[in-house]
Amino acid sequence: MSRALALVLLGITSTAQAQGRWNVSFGAGGAQEIARSRIGTTRERVSGLVFGGEGVATRGRLLARVRYGQGRVTNDTAGRDVAEGEALLGYKARPWLTVWFGPHARTFVVSGQSDRRWLFWSGRVTARGTLFPGRVETFVELWQGVTGSLSRPAESATGGGAEAGLDLRLARHPIWGRVAYRVEQGRSSGAGRRETVEALTLTVGYTPPR
Amino acid sequence: MDPHRPETRRRMTRTSALLAALWLCALWLPRAATAQSAVAVLAQGTRAYDDLELDNAAGLLRRALAFQGSDALAPADAARALMYLAATELLRDHADTARAVARRLVLANPRFRPDELVFPPQVLTFYEATRRATPAVIGRAPADTAIRPGVEALTVRLYASTFHDVTAALATEDGRVVRTLYSGPIGDSLDLHWNGLDSSGTAPLPNGRYAITVTSLDRQRRVARILRLPLEVTQGRVDTLPHPAPPADSLLLHERQPMGPGLRALAPAALTGVAIAVLPSVVANGEDASGARFVVGGTVTVAGIVAFFSHHPGRSIPANVTHNRALRDAWRREDAEVARRNAERARGMVGIRTGAPVLLTPEAP
Repeated sequence: MSRALALVLLGITSTAQAQGRWNVSFGAGGAQEIARSRIGTTRERVSGLVFGGEGVATRGRLLARVRYGQGRVTNDTAGRDVAEGEALLGYKARPWLTVWFGPHARTFVVSGQSDRRWLFWSGRVTARGTLFPGRVETFVELWQGVTGSLSRPAESATGGGAEAGLDLRLARHPIWGRVAYRVEQGRSSGAGRRETVEALTLTVGYTPPR
Repeated sequence: MDPHRPETRRRMTRTSALLAALWLCALWLPRAATAQSAVAVLAQGTRAYDDLELDNAAGLLRRALAFQGSDALAPADAARALMYLAATELLRDHADTARAVARRLVLANPRFRPDELVFPPQVLTFYEATRRATPAVIGRAPADTAIRPGVEALTVRLYASTFHDVTAALATEDGRVVRTLYSGPIGDSLDLHWNGLDSSGTAPLPNGRYAITVTSLDRQRRVARILRLPLEVTQGRVDTLPHPAPPADSLLLHERQPMGPGLRALAPAALTGVAIAVLPSVVANGEDASGARFVVGGTVTVAGIVAFFSHHPGRSIPANVTHNRALRDAWRREDAEVARRNAERARGMVGIRTGAPVLLTPEAP
């Protein structure tokens, strides 16, 4: 796995060198998240706000994206902290189509217990459509975990997810915004744990002028 | 003989080819022989004349002249044959026959002159006397032409056998004279002009069949020959300029905003809206997804609808309308100009088609 990743990174780096300088973009936002857990017949639903940030670097057809967010989700009887993030490398196969690969993780922290972390190496596809050229775009992103693991109990896991929404850019301004809906689900192999997370996200970003 | 044997087959093929060749030769040879014989008989006739075998020469020359249709002698050869025949008959002391033959030659070709190196002086003198005594003209006119009556004219060139008086008139098919074109002497040649007008000299001639008749008069002012040149007159018949083709579709621009760009903006929004609605059941099957996703889905769909209408599908594009109108107006102007020029060209023009001239002789040759 690591050898293959190194080869991919080497290829990406050499391609990137041939395609000029990197362009970066930053964003920060919040999400109203709903997490549902199910183990057998036991169900739990928690919700709350998660705040985070993201950075996207672009060089020619190559992209790198990092996202991180943390917050707290609760219900009437329980609560837990949540931290989630991803680090992806992407390739723009077509102007409207990007493929991604990289790790994606979410950790729930409950006091007095060890963290429960879902980790997936995922492959993704993002398709974009233009509503107003240079101003408004829609996007749909689908991902599927290639390998995955759950830390507590230590088990292998499978999972997948999707995100869709709207990107807006202000005319003659480097500010952009995004409203999106995200849904993900992880399944552990052993105890039959299933955890589904839905989120409505609102992100505001900045792309420095070239 | 076994027809399936290769040698036998080859022999049969060769025989068939030989028979086909013979058949083709049989078809072709008589024509070739006939075509050769008219000229060959003339050659034999002239040779017999040179050898002073006059009876033989007369027979051969008459045979040469007797060929008809496509086998007949060419006009130049026919004139040559007539001249040799006239000389032969003169040398045979058949003066009347020689005169008749010479007169026939004069009427057929008034401009013919015998070769002084070939024929003896007595023949030349005889032919010259016959020519002078045989007043006749032939006419040459364009086969198909158009003139503007009163401004332009149809020209008919007349060639005369000898100096004599002629009268030329334009007549209807039934012989009624419409206009007298000329009356007076003709020497070697003369140009007749008709300006396309009728007897009053003011109006163009109505459509119909006419003829220019040239009457040759002898010294006693009797009609010796009449040349009749048929004419067909048609009003306004003239070649017109072609009308320009209307502007090609490739040159015209869309006058209304097409639906395509609007639909191309609406489609991704609609797809995204649908995706947001159905994704939870695909990704998280068995979970009750929250209805909050419809907020995002609705926003995306509304944005798509706005984008669709922002392209103003079906709305008129003034710049393109102006561009197309300019193209169409230019074409209409050009078309009208061509129509005007055609009308101008056709106005008052008279088309004239001439037929083969006919020579009428009141007296027997």
